[in-house]
Amino acid sequence: MYPDFLYIAPLVFVGFGGILLMLLSPFKQITIRMAAFIALFFMLCATGLYFYNISELYSYYPYAQTFGSMIVADNYSAYFSTILLAGAIFTILIGVHYFEKNRGFTTEFFSLFLFSLFGMMLLVHATELITVLIALEIASLSLYVMIGFQKHLDKRMEASFRYLVLGSISGAFFLLGTAFIYANTQTTKISQIGIFIQNNPQSDVMLLIMGVCFIFITFLFKIAAFPLQNWAIDVYDGAPYPVTAFMAGTFKAAIFGFILRFVLVDLELIIDFWDNILYVVILLTLLYGSFLAIIQQSLKRMLAASSIVHTGYLLIAFISIDITGKSAASSIIFYLVAYFLSSMGAFGLLSYISSDDKVRITYEDFRGFAHIRPYMAAMMSVFMLSLAGIPSTIGFIGKFYIFVAAIESGYTLLAVFGILATFVSIYYYFRLIAIMYFYPSAKMQDVPTLHGMAPYFIGIISLIIIWGGIGNTLITYFPGVDFLMDMARLAYDSLQVK
Amino acid sequence: MNSLIVFIILIPLLSASVLGLSYMYSIKIQKVPRVFFTAIAVSAPLASLLLGVFFFFKMQGETKVFYYRAYKWLSIDGRDIDMAFMLDALSLFMVLFITFVGWLIHIYASGYMRDDDGYGKFFFYFNLFLASMLLLILADGPLIMFIGWEGVGLCSYLLISFYFEDEGNLKAGNKAFIANRVGDFGFIVGMSILFFYAGTYGFDYVHLAQEIPKVPTDILSYAGIALFVGAMGKSAQIPLFVWLPDAMAGPTPVSALIHAATMVTAGVYMVARFHFLYDLVPHVGLYIAYVGAVSSLFAALIACWQKDIKKILAYSTMSQLGYMFIAVGLGAYSSGLFHVFTHAFFKALLFMGAGAIIIALHHEQDIFKMGGMRHKAPMLFFVMLIATLAICGIPPFAGFFSKDEILLQAFAKQEYLLWLFGVLTAVLTAYYMFRLFFIVFYGSHVNTERVLHPLHKSITYPLIVLAVGSIFVGFLGLPQVLGGDNLIGQWLHDFAQVKPLHVGHTTEFMLMGLNVLAACVGIFIAYKKFFTCDLSIEHTMRGWAADKFYVDELYEKIFIQPYKILSQFIGNVLDLKIIDAVVMNSSLGFIKVGRFVSRMQSANTNFYALMMIGGLSVLCTYFLIVLE
Repeated sequence: MYPDFLYIAPLVFVGFGGILLMLLSPFKQITIRMAAFIALFFMLCATGLYFYNISELYSYYPYAQTFGSMIVADNYSAYFSTILLAGAIFTILIGVHYFEKNRGFTTEFFSLFLFSLFGMMLLVHATELITVLIALEIASLSLYVMIGFQKHLDKRMEASFRYLVLGSISGAFFLLGTAFIYANTQTTKISQIGIFIQNNPQSDVMLLIMGVCFIFITFLFKIAAFPLQNWAIDVYDGAPYPVTAFMAGTFKAAIFGFILRFVLVDLELIIDFWDNILYVVILLTLLYGSFLAIIQQSLKRMLAASSIVHTGYLLIAFISIDITGKSAASSIIFYLVAYFLSSMGAFGLLSYISSDDKVRITYEDFRGFAHIRPYMAAMMSVFMLSLAGIPSTIGFIGKFYIFVAAIESGYTLLAVFGILATFVSIYYYFRLIAIMYFYPSAKMQDVPTLHGMAPYFIGIISLIIIWGGIGNTLITYFPGVDFLMDMARLAYDSLQVK
Repeated sequence: MNSLIVFIILIPLLSASVLGLSYMYSIKIQKVPRVFFTAIAVSAPLASLLLGVFFFFKMQGETKVFYYRAYKWLSIDGRDIDMAFMLDALSLFMVLFITFVGWLIHIYASGYMRDDDGYGKFFFYFNLFLASMLLLILADGPLIMFIGWEGVGLCSYLLISFYFEDEGNLKAGNKAFIANRVGDFGFIVGMSILFFYAGTYGFDYVHLAQEIPKVPTDILSYAGIALFVGAMGKSAQIPLFVWLPDAMAGPTPVSALIHAATMVTAGVYMVARFHFLYDLVPHVGLYIAYVGAVSSLFAALIACWQKDIKKILAYSTMSQLGYMFIAVGLGAYSSGLFHVFTHAFFKALLFMGAGAIIIALHHEQDIFKMGGMRHKAPMLFFVMLIATLAICGIPPFAGFFSKDEILLQAFAKQEYLLWLFGVLTAVLTAYYMFRLFFIVFYGSHVNTERVLHPLHKSITYPLIVLAVGSIFVGFLGLPQVLGGDNLIGQWLHDFAQVKPLHVGHTTEFMLMGLNVLAACVGIFIAYKKFFTCDLSIEHTMRGWAADKFYVDELYEKIFIQPYKILSQFIGNVLDLKIIDAVVMNSSLGFIKVGRFVSRMQSANTNFYALMMIGGLSVLCTYFLIVLE
């Protein structure tokens, strides 16, 4: 056993980093780059702490006397926190250039960034509904401000307020749901809710089911599933690119981190109540997202719309959980990694390009881009291929696992729908590749010059994506997809540790 | 220690990577001196050769077979396929002569290609080829072998179209690649059959050999034939031989290394490697032997009417490969491999000598425009004489012993037709080789004041080494009747499970005499016709054989034209009119629906909130109904 502090140290590091940056913010000597490096330092420390007992199965309540059992440290939370930290680190690394080039970013932004990350990490550690709400609100509130941080841009403010209003409504639903659950079970602790369900007949858990409904609404809202998806495009479009990337990849992972724990620990017995509802939700999410993505002209809006489709894919695995728990859960976790990498790369590259010239927004602006910037075009193609799920990228493996889980659980029709949605997605993803490579350039003069480290990290992401797709067949000693998958299975197992 | 096996492959592979990268560096950033490329390129085969020699001495001890398993490569249905390597008598035998001859050809190429801009690239391909070939040989199972198999195919393609500015070379490269792909298809089919029926306990040769007796014979026949189709492609046998003559478009060292000494022998090696399979299906073996015999005669006939020095040699390669297949088809693996071995020496020598002549005559390839080389290049005269005598099977040169052994096997197995084919081919071989020889070295030359291009030492020295080899390597397989020990046969005894020959010593001597006689007949005819050949008159070749029996034209009509028509139909009708129309119309439909959907995206926050609450209401209502 390690000392209790070690288990919560990553959280403390990130939280402390946020506070430190806040205290440093009055000093004008702190440049954006310095602030970014301070944030990076704390995040890297926190990441390192998750690796000390990576391969060992554990589940431990640190400071059980003080916190009750409100937060837990197990493989599951460690895995998710590592994903979150990786997402945050990449966001900062790729975004620094953007933050420097664009007006309005200050040290406080990085402070808020760390707070938001802290909230997300707490979310995946939390085992108690009120703690979950607090974590969710820490993460969301910081995000609201981050979205509207460039106060001089109306678009940002509009997105920020819209997200604030709708997010508050969903937060209220969550609280209401928690109240229902408490009224029914007299507890808000996740494991005890599960015990209550086990020990009581179904007729006694009606209120609980309604409460879970409300919580699910919040969940569907945060991951932008139908019918709660409308905000996604406007907010993603209105937010600065790095923040969009952070929301699309990382925040979604955190939400899934919580809801998977909630479902797997508590609701396994009654989860099939939601199957029909989820079925419809998935179909509509896939359809809506695909239709929306196909008509977008702006790349950012297209990526936002397609993130709705990816939510649909994730939900396909989510619905399969009640039958093939382990493989479905680990396929969700894996897909989250795959999606976070691909979208991070795509948004990151767009942010890099657009921070230098503000004209490249729509598909048409990328005419002949490959002739001007062959490497960037190649990287962008890798991200598009991975998002579309073409073999030899990690996106393919992610989709593969999801559809396998769905078919194993008997949701063959959903898998078919998912694959059809993938067909459609090829249209809007490959359109960019085609435009970059096969059309003559319209405006040759707007060439972003390569400088800063962002392109290299974007390049690293694209290499990881390809490595994830083919790596294990080439060199087995080096951790690749199998390693990620094994870790995901271990994370699942740690949820079952009593 | 066993891991050293991998280094036999890894060293050329590594040096190929270094060469490739430095070549890219050289053309993009800063020029890399040629000596750097030469040093790396030439040392790689030498290092592999030394490793081979090392294992040769290890093999004198207790262990006869070395295994090394690097890592698990694939897992299919719980059956693991390892990236594993095996070095036994057969593979070591191949490794030794391939690296040795390959090394000499590398040295030769360093002189031959010295003025070429793509010097680094050439050696990158060359080393990559060597690595693939060694992987093919050292693989411990069919699948790993297939990686090497494809690798040599790829390198062959790259090297044939090395001078890619010329469209003809590109076409030749494509032809080689496509013909090989047809063969590969057969190989894959054969491999799949084996995997399905005999791969239960592992897909390596050892396990396959254990499992294979349980497989029904007819299945084995299919597998054997399918695998042999692969060999037809690689080793240029009827009907997949069409690429080999065209492959002469590549630089001459390529022809020497790939299309004479090594790659084309992959098919023979493969059949020998699968001897556990072919031993069980002798009728397939007989079929192989006949394909070999017919190919052999067919190629020899065409060769008699060719004018291009490299094409003549190319057809002679095909013809000699036919001999090898007669041997392996009859189960006399060691005899076939013996011929592979001697052939590597004299054929590499022939090609390199021809290359030297071509260089000396400023890239002239038509033999009727050469002539009179005897006095101008006496060194080339001698090495070419040795090589020509070796290929014709005149004792004591290398080719005699190996060819004699093959014909003896055919005779002893009472396959007299095969034997007859062999003897006829021997006559023709002697004829067309000496035709070449007499015209090039004795013909009254057209252009007396032509100045020869000087030959670099790196070109001449390997020729001498190979010439010595062509004289003496035959003695390694000296048959018992002549007082030898047949060292090659002993070394490969596992692969020579031939029943004792029911042939008396007298017959054996008579056959030998007959072979020599056959060669002499060929030489005599060539002497009569070409010794005093006047090259100032125009020599045109006409007739079926000169036009290669119209095989290319036949394939064009039977396969290529219908294929083109079909693909035009698919491209213009099926794809454009049907599939494209459906896809385009449906995508337009999608976009229309998308426009409609996007109206819900009104950017009106109140409406969004309404949708949220509406969604929640639907959900709750549903549950209220369900939970009742």
